Amino acid sequence: MNRARAMDRRAFLATLTRAGLGSAALATLPPWAVETLEAQLPSTYIVRNDRPECWETTLDALGRGWITPSERLFVRSHLSTPRLDVATWRLEVTGKVRSSLSLSYDEVMAMPQTEAVHVLECAGNGRALFALPSTSGVQWQRGAVGNAAWGGVRLQSVLQRAGLDSDAKHVWFEAADQAPLPDAPKFLRSIPIEKAMEDTLLAHSMNKAQLTPLHGAPLRAIVPGWFGMASTKWVTRIRVEDRPSDNHYMVRGYRYNYPDEDPASAPPVEKLLVKSIITQPVEGAVLVLTPRPKPKKPRLRVQGYAWAGPSGLRLVEVSIDGGKTWRPAGFMGDSAPMAWRSWATDLEVTPPAKLTIMARATDNGGEVQPMAARANAGGYGNNSIHKVSARVRL
Amino acid sequence: MSGSSRVRTPHRSLRRVAAAAMVLAALGLALLGGANGESRSTGSRFATPDTFPTGEGKAIADRACLFCHSAMLATQQAKDSTGWEKTLTTMKNWGAPMNGSERDTLRSYLLARFGPRPVAVPLPAPVPPPKR
Repeated sequence: MNRARAMDRRAFLATLTRAGLGSAALATLPPWAVETLEAQLPSTYIVRNDRPECWETTLDALGRGWITPSERLFVRSHLSTPRLDVATWRLEVTGKVRSSLSLSYDEVMAMPQTEAVHVLECAGNGRALFALPSTSGVQWQRGAVGNAAWGGVRLQSVLQRAGLDSDAKHVWFEAADQAPLPDAPKFLRSIPIEKAMEDTLLAHSMNKAQLTPLHGAPLRAIVPGWFGMASTKWVTRIRVEDRPSDNHYMVRGYRYNYPDEDPASAPPVEKLLVKSIITQPVEGAVLVLTPRPKPKKPRLRVQGYAWAGPSGLRLVEVSIDGGKTWRPAGFMGDSAPMAWRSWATDLEVTPPAKLTIMARATDNGGEVQPMAARANAGGYGNNSIHKVSARVRL
Repeated sequence: MSGSSRVRTPHRSLRRVAAAAMVLAALGLALLGGANGESRSTGSRFATPDTFPTGEGKAIADRACLFCHSAMLATQQAKDSTGWEKTLTTMKNWGAPMNGSERDTLRSYLLARFGPRPVAVPLPAPVPPPKR
């Protein structure tokens, strides 16, 4: 059993334990049934699609820490998960470079290593909440997002080793996942050379453990501050070109197609939008508060995470009066560029009461989370303000 | 020692059978009963059914769609006629195995079961119960 499987099994056993079952129950099952259970009941996920895997993390699970463990981070795959052997895997670097490269896994590992914590959010996170009359794609709600420590090499290092030609303008990530039908497009994305050279990573580890196949092993791109589709998994070739990729997922997919606007000029989905989520209290919670000596009112702890694109996060505010007044929340714990931040505030409330709690974030560019993000046909970039209903009593 | 072991063995077997039944029941619930229900007991659930519902068109859906992806990708949708037509055109272009008449059957099948959300209309005021 490799490390990833062992972690999956531990997580699964934890689920069984919470459900009142134990490892003895698993021991009574034939291996195929254990495999099926592990595949079918990943802990703390909402399975939106089981093949290819599209698994959303519950807000309760996200709320357990600044770093999202690998076995809780959302999974979004367009095609079947390839199982790649690092002994034979190569990273090719071709195109507008002075010398093409073919690097083994060991050669990648021998390059200067770096680690950074970044938030990763699916561009379609919140798509289901647009409540479009006609849907498309995976109907994510709020949990296609997470925050992890990515270890690997800078893409800049690899590109400098190959040497860039003067007309090197875009970096195409080619990957090992295959479309089952020959006429179906592969999933291919490209990023501008400036972003590639600035801070893009080629990650082989997540939270200090080797990447698992579901998350892109042995090597994936991490494009900080961009939506997750840019962070291609299972990378096998880096093509340096003078133009963006013309792949389906560049030209037709991942575009903001607004009603009554020309699809040919639909803007591409790229940078993250400023956003916050409330992880506590959870929707529908009934909270028993501790009385305080009069005239003080009982306090309600509200907390969550917030993130932004490359401009960075400035502020999170909370409202319990429908948005008439907002009070700033405090940031807590660790911070890192283009990671999410934990925030919290203690609200004075008068129980018994039914509350609608809202949180909104503002980035350093002055962008404020909207009450309702602009709906678009693909359901991308829904950063509408999160509202949570909860009851408080003494 | 061996005596007490013999005494416990049947009890342990029964517990194992019961535990196995509970796990299989949990699996069954996850596979069959996951439709749209909020379930926070384990924190894991299937959001929508993982099989196509019965009806004329299911056999085509099973063949044309399941080759590349699970049924959930369809069962989570709420598309209008134009939406399903667009999806089927894309899938046909990508090589999904269906002929023209099968495509028409499939569109009707999907539209009838995973059609657009109804337009929101105000609900009538609740009628008070009749006085006795």
